[in-house]
Amino acid sequence: MEFIRNFPFFSILLSLGSGVLTSIMNRKVARFWNTFVLLAVTVMSAVLFVYMLGVGEPYTFMMGHFPAPWGNEIRAGVLEAGMALFFCIVMLLSMKGGEEHIDREIEDTKANLYYIMINLLLSSLLALIYTNDLFTAYVFVEINTISACGLIMIRQSGRTIEAATRYMIMSSLGSGLLLMGLCVLYDITGHLLMSNIKQSIAYVYTQGIYNIPLVASIGMICVGLAIKSALYPFHTWLPDAYGYSTVSSAAILSSLVSKGYIFLLIKIFFRVVGFDIIVDSKIVNILFVFGLLGMIMGSVNAIMENDIRRMVAFSSVAQIGYIYMGLGLGTTFGIVASIFHVLSHASTKSLLFVAAAGLTDASGGSKRFEDLTGSGYRNPMAGIAFTMGACSMVGIPLFSGFISKLLFAEAAVQNSLSKMLPTLICLAISTVLNAIYFMKTVIRLYTPKSRNVKKTEAGEAAIVSFREHPLYNFTLILMIALNVLLGCCSQPIADWIISGINMFG
Amino acid sequence: MNYMILLPVVLPVIVGFALLFLHEGVFRDRRGLLKVTGVSFAVSAALALYVISGAAGDRLILFRLVDDIPVYFAVDDLGRLFAGVVVAVFLLAGFFSFVYMSHEKNEKRYYSFYLITFGVLMGLCFAGNLVTLYLFYEFMTLASMPLVIHNGSKEAVMAALKYLFYSFCGAYMALFGIYFLYRYAIVFENPGDALNGTHYYEIAHMMGFVPGGSLDMAAVVESGNATLCLVAVFLMLVGFGVKAGCFPLQAWLPTAHPVAPAPASAFLSGIIVKGGILAIIRTVYYCVGVDFLRGTWVQTVWCILAVITLLMGSSLAFKEKILKKRLAYSTVSNLSYILLGLSMMNAAAFTGSLLHVVFHALIKSGLFLFAGALIFGTGRVKVKEFAGLGKKMPVLFWSYTICSLGLIGIPPTSGVISKWYLAEGCLESGIAGLSWIGPVALLASALLTAGYLLPLAVNGFLKAPLDEEALDKYREPAPCMLVPVVVLAAATLLLGVFPTPLMEFVGGIAAALK
Repeated sequence: MEFIRNFPFFSILLSLGSGVLTSIMNRKVARFWNTFVLLAVTVMSAVLFVYMLGVGEPYTFMMGHFPAPWGNEIRAGVLEAGMALFFCIVMLLSMKGGEEHIDREIEDTKANLYYIMINLLLSSLLALIYTNDLFTAYVFVEINTISACGLIMIRQSGRTIEAATRYMIMSSLGSGLLLMGLCVLYDITGHLLMSNIKQSIAYVYTQGIYNIPLVASIGMICVGLAIKSALYPFHTWLPDAYGYSTVSSAAILSSLVSKGYIFLLIKIFFRVVGFDIIVDSKIVNILFVFGLLGMIMGSVNAIMENDIRRMVAFSSVAQIGYIYMGLGLGTTFGIVASIFHVLSHASTKSLLFVAAAGLTDASGGSKRFEDLTGSGYRNPMAGIAFTMGACSMVGIPLFSGFISKLLFAEAAVQNSLSKMLPTLICLAISTVLNAIYFMKTVIRLYTPKSRNVKKTEAGEAAIVSFREHPLYNFTLILMIALNVLLGCCSQPIADWIISGINMFG
Repeated sequence: MNYMILLPVVLPVIVGFALLFLHEGVFRDRRGLLKVTGVSFAVSAALALYVISGAAGDRLILFRLVDDIPVYFAVDDLGRLFAGVVVAVFLLAGFFSFVYMSHEKNEKRYYSFYLITFGVLMGLCFAGNLVTLYLFYEFMTLASMPLVIHNGSKEAVMAALKYLFYSFCGAYMALFGIYFLYRYAIVFENPGDALNGTHYYEIAHMMGFVPGGSLDMAAVVESGNATLCLVAVFLMLVGFGVKAGCFPLQAWLPTAHPVAPAPASAFLSGIIVKGGILAIIRTVYYCVGVDFLRGTWVQTVWCILAVITLLMGSSLAFKEKILKKRLAYSTVSNLSYILLGLSMMNAAAFTGSLLHVVFHALIKSGLFLFAGALIFGTGRVKVKEFAGLGKKMPVLFWSYTICSLGLIGIPPTSGVISKWYLAEGCLESGIAGLSWIGPVALLASALLTAGYLLPLAVNGFLKAPLDEEALDKYREPAPCMLVPVVVLAAATLLLGVFPTPLMEFVGGIAAALK
């Protein structure tokens, strides 16, 4: 069984290596290879996950058997393995759901570039999940940023290039802050390995000499990662980036890339600084406030939007707000709820993006609401999938969104009154706002009932038959199934999140 | 028989979805579609009746949403009462729609959502804890929305959006309360409560419905959150009150109910709104417990809201010219009778409320079906346009007259009994001021009810029609439409003359709460 312990290393190496390898492949081979890599990593993560559940103990893996200050370490626990598995599944589904769009929207000569970016993105996500070394984390944060930029602007239009530039600027700011934070931490502690830093910080913090630089560095790390994951006031790059890139990119960016940073942040909370010190430093309160703001403002922006893709993108801002609000509660329950929401949002948002792409296809490529009228009849599967995704976002029971809201509320009522009330009130307001714009869209998809094809500004609307796009429809079904699975069998999932967080400790 | 509870919930939903997704061509023609729907209506209703006729006390934990919160069904007397009413109206309005819907498009979609709504309502009636109830409450909103939106006109879409918006607002106010109350849910250590040994620990801590309340109110007081808890309960009242058309958030009801096709209006106005009532009863009487609320500001404000709604609904109905809208306003006012009774928190008023739930469901669906039959036959919508038609359609108009008398509360029809109990309950309650304002408002509203319902009957029989020559075209509606109206009118009369079995049953429910 020792062999299984190599799997995290293998998955990172496989995806990183295939990034390089893809550059000499043509479109077809590159796509095939990408699918193979994703499947292989999924299987490896699944095996590792099952293995970790059985073992119940985290382990560290020394690369090349060099011990700490020289070598690099990977650490895997049940939460890491589960996250890797989940990210791979969502990525695979997003890739398959948007495959036709990739073929259509990306020039032939650039197709393999796209798959390079995807492979690199996968490797950086896996590295962020598994690494036990802060500097490695930083390196892969940068790889992640660059490949994400590539994903945004691979479909070349004025909007995407502008979006990618914005993203680059904001992200660089974020990485810069993160790097500065890490430098200060290194100064204080003299270590880069997470477990060592934690020991030193615990010692330094009780001494009380370096508390101001320590808090400053935690603050810089938090803000840096918050910018990169589009927490509310730093979200301006997001709607364009998600709204105009090709659909797989949008789905992957919104459901995985930002979540990778959040996972890193949670890891830093628990594995680097220590959760008690984080709570003690009051930084969580700031995250809490911005999280609440994001929940409301994201939805308000989404309501005013007249473009389905941008609306879904703004709804991401709101959902990221939820996650930070959970982190800001400053309890383990809040973190559990946040991690569950990471899963729930990832599965729902990718579903929504892919479904929205089907609906716009059935409306001549127009994303405006007027043109989408009745498109639920023109592309039935996409209509159903969008409705399901919308129900989950609104928080209808039996879908994943309801469970994450339930968990947030449970976490909130265990908190002090000053955090409980704002949380519950904002949850309620934000849910109503969600309901407004998602239900408005769903109604528009289905009224008036007509399969009539009309000409839109962007092109001729057409009826998309069920049999024409078997892969697309199959992907949608799998995504819905994933969502309902999260909504109905949440207890085992919450259990593994809790055990995973305990393994962090 | 445990899994039998699930059948009337799941089967209509499955059949409904099957209908929705089957291609039109499968049924060859309209007759084929009607046969299939007719059979599914009958089967669904039969299954529901089977569960209702079984003894109370069946319970079933379906699966767990999260550890402590299962999706949990339990059959008790209150659920059986509501379910019985739902089945009756569902069948009658369903068969009525076989004729009525012939001049509407998209019949298949209508029947499928009608069936789904029925299944969801069964789930609502048999829900065993607050979260399950909430789950079906949300589904009820979603499943009934297509009924409102049915004709797809701009007006209908706006009405449906309004309906959704209000309902979701209300639902999330209620959800806020549920979140808050959740941590005070307690284990019941009462062996006589039929929680059998193996399930004993499983039903702990989940806000199950127990007569008299299932929350640990001592813990609430201890934690110093009593005020906040009252706020939470009040929000739940207002939130669930949205469905029941209670004052601050009632504006959706007169918009949404009339735009639906008439049988759907009957179902919405007769039954769906009762979902809100059921949720409030479950919250107040079966979860929080009346002892905690009696004498607090929540009770007072609740009474005042109910009285305001009651008078406002009647007055607006009195002013309204369009028949279906008038009936919708009348629903607002009548639901407030029920809410007023519930807010009194004593046995007599509670009995009156439950009786009025039954009577109003039957009467109001009768009235809406009558309106549907008239609109179907004549194409007219305003009240004064129906003058003189009574001579051509005597059976229909006589049924209407009986139903109206029931709603006003004139013996020997049923309405008088419920109002009697309501007034008695108000007087008994001893809340300063409101104990007599309540009965006065009831009386005033009864007068207004007479004012807005009776002229139609009187003019129908006595006044000269607007246009004599058109009159010859009109005759009694088809039996499929006439019979449901007559049956509902007969029920109004019969329940007024022989109310004892129903009253004993309702009295049993009320007594269990003590």
